[in-house]
Amino acid sequence: MEINVFIKKALQTIFSFGLFLLLLITTEVQASVYTKNCIACHKEIPVSIDKYFYRYLLKYSSEKKVKHAIKYYLQNPSQEKTVMADAFINRFGIKKKTKLNEEQLNKAINEYWESYKIFGKLK
Amino acid sequence: MLALKNSVIDLHHSEKKTLIGFFSLYITLCIVILIFISFVYYKFQKDLMLSEKRINLQNYSNEFIIRLKQLHINFDKSQVYPRDTRFKSAIYDSDKQLIFSTLKSSHVQLDNIVYTSNKTIHFIKEPESYYLGARYVILEIEDDLEWFSKIEQEILIFTSIGLIFMLFIGYWLLQLFIKPMRDAMHLLDRFIKDTTHELNTPISAIVANVEMIDTSNLDEKLARKIKRIDIGAKTVSNIYQDLTYLTLNHQIMSQNEYLDVGQILHQRVEYFTTLANVKHIAFKMNIKEDVILFIDVKKLSKLIDNLISNAIKYNKINGSIQITLSEKNFTIEDSGKGIKKEQLDLLYERYSRFDKSVGGFGIGLNIVSMICKEYNLNIHISSEISIGTKVDVSWK
Repeated sequence: MEINVFIKKALQTIFSFGLFLLLLITTEVQASVYTKNCIACHKEIPVSIDKYFYRYLLKYSSEKKVKHAIKYYLQNPSQEKTVMADAFINRFGIKKKTKLNEEQLNKAINEYWESYKIFGKLK
Repeated sequence: MLALKNSVIDLHHSEKKTLIGFFSLYITLCIVILIFISFVYYKFQKDLMLSEKRINLQNYSNEFIIRLKQLHINFDKSQVYPRDTRFKSAIYDSDKQLIFSTLKSSHVQLDNIVYTSNKTIHFIKEPESYYLGARYVILEIEDDLEWFSKIEQEILIFTSIGLIFMLFIGYWLLQLFIKPMRDAMHLLDRFIKDTTHELNTPISAIVANVEMIDTSNLDEKLARKIKRIDIGAKTVSNIYQDLTYLTLNHQIMSQNEYLDVGQILHQRVEYFTTLANVKHIAFKMNIKEDVILFIDVKKLSKLIDNLISNAIKYNKINGSIQITLSEKNFTIEDSGKGIKKEQLDLLYERYSRFDKSVGGFGIGLNIVSMICKEYNLNIHISSEISIGTKVDVSWK
């Protein structure tokens, strides 16, 4: 009888753990590369992430060029490549080189573009 | 076989041909030049109009770009595209992708600065900074086309005046160019007219007197001489009549009557017998009786005379002339040297002669053609070298 209760409890524990693990994995998958790797850090800076986007837009205009410029910067950030003002760089410095691979970087940049692009938003 | 033209070839025919040829060339050239000048003027006026509009559009675009800048800065708060009652606008990114547009026409030429299209004027401005990603800002204003109707009117008036002026110059040039040709033609015509006039009396005297001589009472030698004089006089008389016909043709009224063509043919053959005998040419007659034609007797005789005269002139010694009359046509066929195909076309040209070895002025067939034209007779000449020439005159 005691053994039976033990097995039952053990099974219950394994099941709850499995459920928790599944939930964890799902959350992990749902949080995109962009949310996890970009927003997470930018939240800490008082300048919101969209301001960078408009800076890029101001300088590079088209989707292709903006995306390329962001990627180029992220892969090897430097003061020469930044679109931000000197005062901003002096205060916050240059970010570190990205650890994301090409595919992840593309995904993140695509999502960034889709979030703030002008196309279809003007009224 | 060649269907010959019935057209009257008058003295001014070549003159007219040259005149028409020169004038069409000249007019075409003038029109091309005027079109070119009009086009240049149109382009110039259009550019002038556009540069005037451009000043306004430049100001509009500066204002518009300031509003774009404000929208760019505050895009998180407002997404309302700046509009203006004075103009319509659109923005394109550097890949020429449309970002937003209020334009009437969707087709824009981003490589131009200012241009007209479909009753609108477009002005393209590239701002220094690409607010909202706009590399190209296009402003559009309505084109009232007032400038166009003004230019159109101006061009129409000036080209008309220009064309009239050019026409006068052309006419003057033409007169200058054809003067030598006209002089030569007039000289020839005048010469023939004068000669004709002067020949009248002596020829009449010779012909009348030769006819009056009774050759039966003369000795054979003298009779032969008289016969030669008769032939010569008849030849000269024939040429004289041809020339009279040509020079006075338009002044002679036709006295048409119903004539027996067969009878006339016999008469004319008889008239030419002496001439034909010299070359030992035999006439073969195949005449249908009672073929009636409503025609002037002199003109029919002239027509037949010329054809028979040619048949004798271009025949060989001991040749023959076959004359056939049917209900609706008659043919005169010789056994002469024939005419080359390429020369058949030119037969009716006045003063054209293909065989300089025989006498003549080259006016015979010209007269034939004029008579045929007057009486709606169809004339066909077919010829084979060394076999002979066949002239067929038919009517309906």
